This record gives sequence, structure tokens and C-alpha cells, in this order.
Amino acid sequence: MAAPAPVPIVVDGVSKAFGPVQALVDIHLRVRAGEFLSLIGPSGCGKTTLLKTLAGLVPADAGRVVVGDRVVRGPGRECSVVFQDFALLPWATVQKNVEFGLLLRGVPAAERAGTARRAIGKVGLAGFEEAYPAQLSGGMQQRVGLARALAVSPQVLLMDEPFASIDEQTRRLFQDDLLRLWSEERKTVVLVTHSMEEAIYLSDRVVVLSPRPGRVQQELDVPLPRPRETADVRATADFARLVDGLWKILRKLQ
Amino acid sequence: MVFALRTASVVAFLLLWEWAARVPISFNFPSPGATLTALIALVRSGALLSATVTSLQSLLLGFGGAVVVGVPLGLVMGVVRPVGRVARVYLDVLIALPTAALIPLVILSFGINIASSAVIVFVFSAPFVAMNAYGGVRDVRPRLVEMAQAFDASWGQLVTRIVLPSALPMVMAGLRYGLSRAFVGLIVAELLLSPFGLGRLIMMSRSMFEHDRMFATVLWTLLLAGAALTALARLEARLLRWRA
Repeated sequence: MAAPAPVPIVVDGVSKAFGPVQALVDIHLRVRAGEFLSLIGPSGCGKTTLLKTLAGLVPADAGRVVVGDRVVRGPGRECSVVFQDFALLPWATVQKNVEFGLLLRGVPAAERAGTARRAIGKVGLAGFEEAYPAQLSGGMQQRVGLARALAVSPQVLLMDEPFASIDEQTRRLFQDDLLRLWSEERKTVVLVTHSMEEAIYLSDRVVVLSPRPGRVQQELDVPLPRPRETADVRATADFARLVDGLWKILRKLQ
Repeated sequence: MVFALRTASVVAFLLLWEWAARVPISFNFPSPGATLTALIALVRSGALLSATVTSLQSLLLGFGGAVVVGVPLGLVMGVVRPVGRVARVYLDVLIALPTAALIPLVILSFGINIASSAVIVFVFSAPFVAMNAYGGVRDVRPRLVEMAQAFDASWGQLVTRIVLPSALPMVMAGLRYGLSRAFVGLIVAELLLSPFGLGRLIMMSRSMFEHDRMFATVLWTLLLAGAALTALARLEARLLRWRA
């Protein structure tokens, strides 16, 4: 799986309403190629809606999204989505789940099997190819979700609160693995989260959305050195100061 | 543990039966022993076998039809919502209706033959098969559809890769329920309308006051239904082994 070069994302004046509820208003956002960006905000600020708009799953009412050089009008091959509730096929083995995106794109069976096996290895699940999702812990299920997303060699990884339903210890290990994979594969990542520590620890930049209707409230650069997964970044004063700064922004929005 | 309980329940049933025959509840009431003797005699004479073959023809025809029509109908009802909303009214009526009341109508339309038993079997089982398949499609997790859409799945891929496998557990449950209903329909049809097969054997034995033969035939029918349902449950367990 030669990783294709990452692409930038441009969000230009996107608005979205669901009936009378205005979810997003005039969102402007630029994600650099290969950047790790987090979207954070109070519940109901439309951060998941924004992510789905990037994925082409929710059409914008106004404005446009450009991924690489493609104007988003529907799901495209550049993007893979990782879902909060994993969205695994319960009737399929880990191997078949990871092959799923390749299957839908018509990749021949032999190539599919090999590509999926490598993706399973990357997320640390080698040996579990023939297990069914119900036999795995939440953390392992999300690793399958990540492997499935990576298997199609996307240039952009869109993650919707991927660690929200995973316990704390597992989450930290998983976050480190994600950072390691990201530094190896250099993908553009947009992560939706409600955890301030997670946003600061993982991201190059954090975008804070205001609630109902969602607008870009503020952007916060995270100048912590990388690689963070090997250094004890969480224990540093800089990390604490950044989390505190983010909290001060969010507190005003409540 | 399960095995012990199963054995115990069978023994308890036989004891209760034996007790009922000895009281006796009615002088017509045959003991388990007498019933078994009659069963062996029926098997030896070949009467039971030929009746079973006749009945199974109606059953397979009727239930086979219910599967072939009911499953696709239910799936289409689920996938194409307007069809579902119209068709489910008819299915609700068919399910609520005392189906035996349709028998005179069926005889008038199809005559007295194996085909009309098959039609009754079909009417008994098809609505349940279809309803369950419909419910199975409606139970599809929207998130799985969204996931497939994120990979830009076509409509056909959504149906075959997400909707059908999601509906399979409910479809299988519908088949099991439909099969038990098919057996009920079969015996009702053969008792009330077309004098064929096992139903005819039950009727004949009763009119001749051969209650041991009648009981033997009923018992045999129960065993047949039990065996068929077990086979279907095995198939279900194999198809759905991911649920373990």
C-alpha cells in the first residue's frame, strides 16, 4: 500500500439546516495537506454534521467543500470515515470487514485479501482475521474500523469521535498507535472529538465550533513537538497550558 | 443440563399420559403403549408412509411457495417503502383472519385435491414469512448503510451487501414460524376439506373409534413437525454462526 500524497481540504461558506434547525452557518475552514485537525465544541454544535459534509454523506445547503481538486458532491475515493460506533458488519469476520471497502470498489479477491491482511497488521490485530466483531472488545473493534478505513489507501481520514466508546487505558494506547500510523502514512486527518486532552494531544490545530447554529468560534494552534507518542507530552507544562486554554474557550460557549 | 431437562420433560409427559389413560379420563383414551403398538402397525401396513408422502407433497408445495413468494415480497416491501405500506395492510388482514374460514373458498376455486391443501398451507404460512422478512429489512442499522455509502456503494451493493445480510436473522425466524404454521394449515386442510394424507388417516381412525390409531397418527405428525423444525433450526444456526 503505497500511501498516496495527502491532499488539502477547503470548506468555503458551508451552511446546513435540518428542517427548522440551523446546524451549520457559513463555515470557512482550510485543512492543510497532511495536517491533523480536530473539531471540538459543545454537544449539538454540528461538528459531526460538518464531518459528514466533508465525507459527502450530508449535502451542504450552501457553500462548497473541496477535497484535493474535487468539489464534494457525494462520497469520494479520497476519504475514509471512521465511525464512533465502529459500524462493523456483525456477520463478517475481521478479514471480511476490512476487505469491505475494497470489495465495494471492485478490487479482485486475491489483492483484497492481501491488502486487508496488511491493514490488519498495521493496527495490531494480526491473528484475529477470522474472529467476528462480537468476539472483540470495543477497542479492538475500532481498530478493525480503522483498518477498514486505511485498506482503501485514502488521502483523507475522517474520524467521528472514534475513541468515545472506548475505555481510558485502551484509548491512550490506541491514540499513540494512531499517531504512529499517521506519521508513517502522512494522511490529512479531521477528527471530531469532545475530549480537550485528546484534541490537544493528537492535533496540529484545533477548531472550536459554537453551538446551534455551528460556526467556527476560534482556531487554536498546537505547537507541541512531534513525535508525541514517544515523549511524555501529556506530563508537560505546555500540554497542560494548551488544554487549559482550550477549556477557557469552551467554557465561554456553554 | 439441557439434555437432562429434555429427557426429564419427555419422561414426565409419558408418565402423565400413562396416568391419564389409567384413570381413565375417558374410556376412549389410549395409553402410550397402545399408541406405540398402533404406530408400529401403521408403519408396517404402509398406510402411514403413503399418507405421509401425500401430506408432505402438499406441505412442500405450500410452504415452498410461501418461501419463494413470501421472502422476496417481504424484502421488496422493506426496500421499497410505499409497497410495504400498502402490502402490509393485506398481510395484517391475512394474519388476523381465522384462516380456516377461507377453506370453503379455496375448495370452490381449486376443487378437492392436493393442490387446495397446498393453497391452504400457503395461506397459513406465507403472511408470516413475508412479515418477518419485511421486519428484517426495517431493522437494518442505518449506520451500516451510512458506512457503505461512505465507500460510495451503489444501490445494488447496499441491498446485497448490507440489507440482505442484516435481514437474514429475521428471515430465518420467519421461516421457522412459517413452517410451524404450515403444519397447522396442512392438518386443518386435510381434516376439514380434502380427504388426503395424514389428516384423512386421523379422520378415518376417529370415525371407526380406533383411537389408538388416531393418537398414533397425531403423534407421528408431531414428530414430523419436530424433525422439520429442528432441521431448519440447524440450518439457521449454521447461517448465523456469527451470532454466537
